[in-house]
Amino acid sequence: MNEDAPTARFPGYDVLAKWDSPSFDGITRNTLAARLDAVPPRRWLTQDEWDLLDAINARLLPQPDRAQPIPITPWIDAMLHDDRGEGYRHPDMPPLRAAWRQGLAAVDDEARRLHDRPFVRLDADAQDAVLHALEGGRAVSPGWQGLDAQRFFIHHLLKTAAGFYYAHPLAWNEIGFGGPANPRGYVRLGFDSRDPWEAKEAR
Amino acid sequence: MIAPRTGGGRAPDVYERGGWVTMREYDDDDAVDFVVVGAGAGGATLACKLAEAGFSVVVLEAGPFWRPLEDFASDEEAQQQLYWLEERLSGGTDALALGGNNSGWGVGGSTVHFSMISLRFRPEWFRSRSQLGYGFDWPITYDDLAPYYDEAERALAVSGPVRYPWGPPRRRYPYREHEMNAAGLVLARGAEKMGIEWSAVPLATVSAPRGKSPPCVYRGFCNFGCATNAKQSALIVWIPRALAAGAEVRDLAMAGRIELGADGRAAGVHYRRNDAWRFQRARNVVVAGYAIETPRLLLNSACGRFPQGLANGSGLVGTHLTTHAGPGVWARFDEAIRWYKGPPNMAVCEHWNYTDAGKDFHGGYAFMSQGPLPRAWAQLLVTERHLWGMALRREMADYNHMAGLVAVAETEPRACNRVELADVRDRHGLPVAHVTFEYSANDRRMQDHARRFMGEMLAAAGGKDTWTSDDTSHILGTCRMGSDRETSVVDADGRSWDVDNLWICDGSLFPTAGGVNPSLTIQALACRMGARIQALAARGEL
Amino acid sequence: MNAAAPAHARPAARALGAAALGLALGALLLQRRRPAPPPLAPDRTAHRLYQAAALLAASVLSDSALEHYRGGFENPGMFAPLASAAVVLGCALRAQPASAPYATACAVGTAGLGFHAYNVLRRPGGLSWANLFYAAPLGAPAALTLAGVLGLAARPVAAGAPTLAGLPSGRALCSLAAFGLTGTSAEAALLHFRGAFQHPAMWLPVTVPPAAAVLLAGAALPGRPGPRRLTDALLKACTWLGALGMVFHARGIARQMGGWRNWSQNLLAGPPLPAPPSFSALALAGRAALALRTAQERP
Repeated sequence: MNEDAPTARFPGYDVLAKWDSPSFDGITRNTLAARLDAVPPRRWLTQDEWDLLDAINARLLPQPDRAQPIPITPWIDAMLHDDRGEGYRHPDMPPLRAAWRQGLAAVDDEARRLHDRPFVRLDADAQDAVLHALEGGRAVSPGWQGLDAQRFFIHHLLKTAAGFYYAHPLAWNEIGFGGPANPRGYVRLGFDSRDPWEAKEAR
Repeated sequence: MIAPRTGGGRAPDVYERGGWVTMREYDDDDAVDFVVVGAGAGGATLACKLAEAGFSVVVLEAGPFWRPLEDFASDEEAQQQLYWLEERLSGGTDALALGGNNSGWGVGGSTVHFSMISLRFRPEWFRSRSQLGYGFDWPITYDDLAPYYDEAERALAVSGPVRYPWGPPRRRYPYREHEMNAAGLVLARGAEKMGIEWSAVPLATVSAPRGKSPPCVYRGFCNFGCATNAKQSALIVWIPRALAAGAEVRDLAMAGRIELGADGRAAGVHYRRNDAWRFQRARNVVVAGYAIETPRLLLNSACGRFPQGLANGSGLVGTHLTTHAGPGVWARFDEAIRWYKGPPNMAVCEHWNYTDAGKDFHGGYAFMSQGPLPRAWAQLLVTERHLWGMALRREMADYNHMAGLVAVAETEPRACNRVELADVRDRHGLPVAHVTFEYSANDRRMQDHARRFMGEMLAAAGGKDTWTSDDTSHILGTCRMGSDRETSVVDADGRSWDVDNLWICDGSLFPTAGGVNPSLTIQALACRMGARIQALAARGEL
Repeated sequence: MNAAAPAHARPAARALGAAALGLALGALLLQRRRPAPPPLAPDRTAHRLYQAAALLAASVLSDSALEHYRGGFENPGMFAPLASAAVVLGCALRAQPASAPYATACAVGTAGLGFHAYNVLRRPGGLSWANLFYAAPLGAPAALTLAGVLGLAARPVAAGAPTLAGLPSGRALCSLAAFGLTGTSAEAALLHFRGAFQHPAMWLPVTVPPAAAVLLAGAALPGRPGPRRLTDALLKACTWLGALGMVFHARGIARQMGGWRNWSQNLLAGPPLPAPPSFSALALAGRAALALRTAQERP
């Protein structure tokens, strides 16, 4: 498995460098300041659940290239604390909090059944094997009773983690996203056209 | 957003930071002419028309009264606040994604987060059954609605091409089309290579100043709230007019139940605001909560006379739910596209809406260029391609070189697709909606056709490593209009067959979905309903 | 203005642009090596023509600088109108009669027309309203050519030449100014149409200058020069329109989202500040032409 982070496509680009520019407005600054500086503490997950989720997120969105990785687990904990879901669920799935609690326990049980050890004590490859089994609908643990393992993996674990990762300015730098844009939007809209305040791609 | 903003004789002025406009207020115990439940494309428009016609109007909106200039951060995550995130169940073989996919929350409803695509129905679709051999006929024709399409387009100052290639001859759009972004030029390039017509999308966001609205700055956060007021949402177009004409808007007011009087007419609406249940008396009730909340409210208003749900003598309330299937095709390009710039859907091809030969399915689809922001794109990648780990990060690093086409494909109205009540209750104690949906064979054939055609166009445009995705947009049809009480919930005026002072005014009205986004048709229907109600009132038939 | 050509066409266009730039610079350099001609005797008409050329060149310089900056100077030829307009501005301000700078401007402007037409036609949609609105403006290079022609005409006029291009000089200049006013008005009409004529004042540059142009064209015909006072008054109005237009455009920029604070977007995306003064320039030339025409008619 190729563990190398993608080569920097937009070296030197920092969305936050536009903090005081017309690309940022007050409400956006407040919002991003909270995201960057007010990472919430653990309020809903147990410590074990938190550690497990940390380990899962490290496989879903690995960040070996960052000394300070984009936090994901704290935001999921906050989401569960606020019981703030997507606004719908499949009738076969439990409500948000119940789904996560049960799902996390089932993932750990899956690890124990496959490798005789809790998920957090497995090496990366073994952890990936557990997650691949969920992705492929090959879960074995009875802990999944009433909770579709594949759906939990894709629509809860993975979709939520990806959402929080790509809601972070570091991820925007990574992909060269223009970032906040109010009142200043964009002038040059065409092919291979870039405003000076957009990310410059390394060629 | 914890406390309501309207009250004390005033409502927020959406055009001025911290500003207020005066708002007339009505007592709960005074029977107003109209209570409108829902302040979206249907409710806000009709409330405006009714108030301007001199009726007393109270609008109840479950969500907040947004201040676009101040409340809307340039941030996908924070702006999830625009969506209906209260619990709903959604199942069936092809379970619909709800929430941010199609359900707005707040004054302006889904027009606060919509993509501003303002297209008219093909005229023949109003006679889908008799002229095209599928679906159902509408109880009105295109010609009945055309003057109101005109009115809605003018009210929204739709910015469109000087010549729109499809549909009957029409007057020029009020404002000119926007400059096309690269994502849209991909569709244009591919279409020209294939010899197929394409067009700029007529958009409800201004390309030049309009009153206090500056022209669009192409910031690309349209689906997360327009912070400049270039987007002509119901919040900034119809609501200010409604307020100026004497309507009252009550935000954070969740309607729970419509009360039926002993005389068999609606007496008013029970609603929850400021942690207390209240009851607004009304001479007429308009339900405009869109295709899930409208049938839900009617079903939750079941009573002795209507055990199956208020105004549900036909048994059709909640049934014949349609959506627009949204098969997508995506590809990578050598050129930088940077699709985050500008409105998300700038170019359109309606070829298969107006061509009947060469199709192995009934109905039509349009398709448009795309411009998803990072969080939305990442979530699409993971749910559709199951990418994770470094593979996900590598794929996302191509973000600036991606382009795509997604269809708005008409699904068939069938009784099995429906909204019912679940055993689950929300925080107000109300049973939530249980949505069930599955595609028909026709729906699937249409999507296959769309995938093939769009794939061909993307490749013709120079796209590489094409792949496909599935999705839906819009929800329609659950309280459809019709010509007789056996086969519809309301008549051509949106008036309930069973309760003659109960009206529906939103996407639930659509007997068929058509192959275009519904917002312009909903607003046109609302304008027509306003005119019809005025006419009926003048004749004493209200 | 954005670029949408297939990748293979652009290197050829860039090579052509580089060549055009090279030729333009070469011509200007060559001219510098010629001995300066003797200064001309003062002459009001010629003086006015130089002023008009200078004002037009200033407008072209600022406008093309902004627009070509927006286009990223992706084709090296995009520097040519800046260089040429700057030189015309400098020469015309000093009423310098040497023809090379003005002739070069004519050539660069003409080449620019070709490049701009290519820019429009190569995009999806080709010659479409959208491309006329947002691709390279067809009329803008013509302003540089006009500046060049005005500069070229000034010298023989200063020397008292009775004819220009086969016509009595007054009539010739009236035709030129009428043509220029019409073209500039057409450009404003296109862009104000794009702006949906959302402000009533946007009708001014598409009504007053064409009216002036019609009368001026009438004055270019043989026989009596027509209603001189009225024509002159309309031309004076055009002069003021140039300034008024700039004020309106500045207000327009302020009215965009973020106003002047968002200058890095709004100077490019908002109404073009340097465009309206071209009406003043042509009105100036037109009034001088009208005066000369009237003088030539009086025996």
